[in-house]
Amino acid sequence: MESKNNGAHLHVDKLQKKFGDAIVLDDIELTIQPGEFIAIVGRSGCGKSTLLRLISGLEEATQGGVYLDENKIKGINLDTRFIFQEARLLPWRKIIDNVRIGAENKDKDIALKALKDVGLDDRANEWPSVLSGGQKQRVSLARALAGNAKLLLLDEPLGALDALTRIEMQQLIGNLWIEKGFTVILVTHDVSEAVALADRVILVEKGKITMDTKITLARPRERNNDFVYFERRILDRVMDKQTSTLPKEEYAI
Amino acid sequence: MINVNFKERSYWIGKIVPWIIPILILLAWIVFTGDGDISSKIFPKPSKVFDSFVQLAKSGELLDNIVISTERALSGFIVGGGIGFILGFINGLSRKAENLLDSTIQMIRNIPHLALIPLVILWFGIGQEAKLLLIALGVFFPIYLNTFHGIRSIEPQLIEMGKVYGLKGLPLFKEVILPGSLPSILVGIRQSLGIMWLTLIVAETVAADSGIGYMAMNARELMLMDIIVLSIIVYALLGKVSDIIAKILEHRLLRWHPNFKKS
Repeated sequence: MESKNNGAHLHVDKLQKKFGDAIVLDDIELTIQPGEFIAIVGRSGCGKSTLLRLISGLEEATQGGVYLDENKIKGINLDTRFIFQEARLLPWRKIIDNVRIGAENKDKDIALKALKDVGLDDRANEWPSVLSGGQKQRVSLARALAGNAKLLLLDEPLGALDALTRIEMQQLIGNLWIEKGFTVILVTHDVSEAVALADRVILVEKGKITMDTKITLARPRERNNDFVYFERRILDRVMDKQTSTLPKEEYAI
Repeated sequence: MINVNFKERSYWIGKIVPWIIPILILLAWIVFTGDGDISSKIFPKPSKVFDSFVQLAKSGELLDNIVISTERALSGFIVGGGIGFILGFINGLSRKAENLLDSTIQMIRNIPHLALIPLVILWFGIGQEAKLLLIALGVFFPIYLNTFHGIRSIEPQLIEMGKVYGLKGLPLFKEVILPGSLPSILVGIRQSLGIMWLTLIVAETVAADSGIGYMAMNARELMLMDIIVLSIIVYALLGKVSDIIAKILEHRLLRWHPNFKKS
């Protein structure tokens, strides 16, 4: 399926980030084409979320920089939308008003359309507290999409959802991406989720990119042998690093 | 059907139950003062209190005093509450301001504001300013503390979310900070309303030439027990009314809050 060219081009150039003396990310080099869907995987604490926050402008790089359509990112950029692990809806605003925060000029019709895209337009006038976790995350997706973002950053947005809701949400995100054509960077620790959604899967280990794999499966993706092959390969790569640090005796069979 | 009836019944029971104890007290009052068990010099009969209520209401004296007292209470509340609110916000939002101001405020907070009565009388006499100052001082602290606490307890994640969506300055304040701290601010308002009436009563009793407290003290000199009791009842009612207003305010402003969702 051909994506419309609404996405941003992204270039990460020799990026380094330190917190105090600790180097969290080092020498990160990454180019992402407009409309591409990238998944960043890695173990907890590898620096993948920090990379996402640097791209969003929530954090500042120690060295190097991130270029969005050739412009260096300095601070928050309204073409970039960030979806957090928690939905972060304002409990004191009706669902529609939460989505309006993301819409241009707080336009109600745009907000309503975005809610329709995630299938929650009939709940527009309710309080967020009545929604389930998955529904809340859908509202936060609508809020992010209401502004015609060119770059969508997802920081483990499905991590707190149950397995069935997660699959539903993956399909929703995939469909909206195909329809709107924005660039997506998804941070996840779920390799199968990465393979199900992404054009390219990037592995971050100890602050460095150690693998960059194109997923050449057709869409919509089915969990067939080829799918398992990619999943297996990436997963082995993720685990490999870990096992090689174990004492040698463990392997001596 | 049974379920509906049951719901309706429990609704009415809920409405009636709070009145049981006040009605029992009133009955006890009628019974014990009626046949001279308690001398009318110690406690007047309800009927006498009612008579003096009618009399004072007719002459307009009662209403005048209520208006004067309420005016004092509210103006002190607005001044003290307003300052507390603003300082609470400034200190809540800025660590530098907190560092500069908070320890001074906490020091003053530990002085019972009623201890300042002699000083205030010497400065302002028994005029309006004295009462306004005392009430403002009493009301200031609960509102300051709760506003401050309300801002500090807003989830930083929500503020970060606001920033991602380009909210800053006034819009960020309006969308996130003010509504987020409102539950706490309203707790402060309810607390300070109690302090407001308490301070007013003390101030009017100690030094005043008008108002309900003055009415009561005047009656004491003339041994008019019924008017003293009437003043106490008026205070109780005023306190109850302001509490009801605060409750309504809470229910209206915090509709989104799961705790206030029903009704």
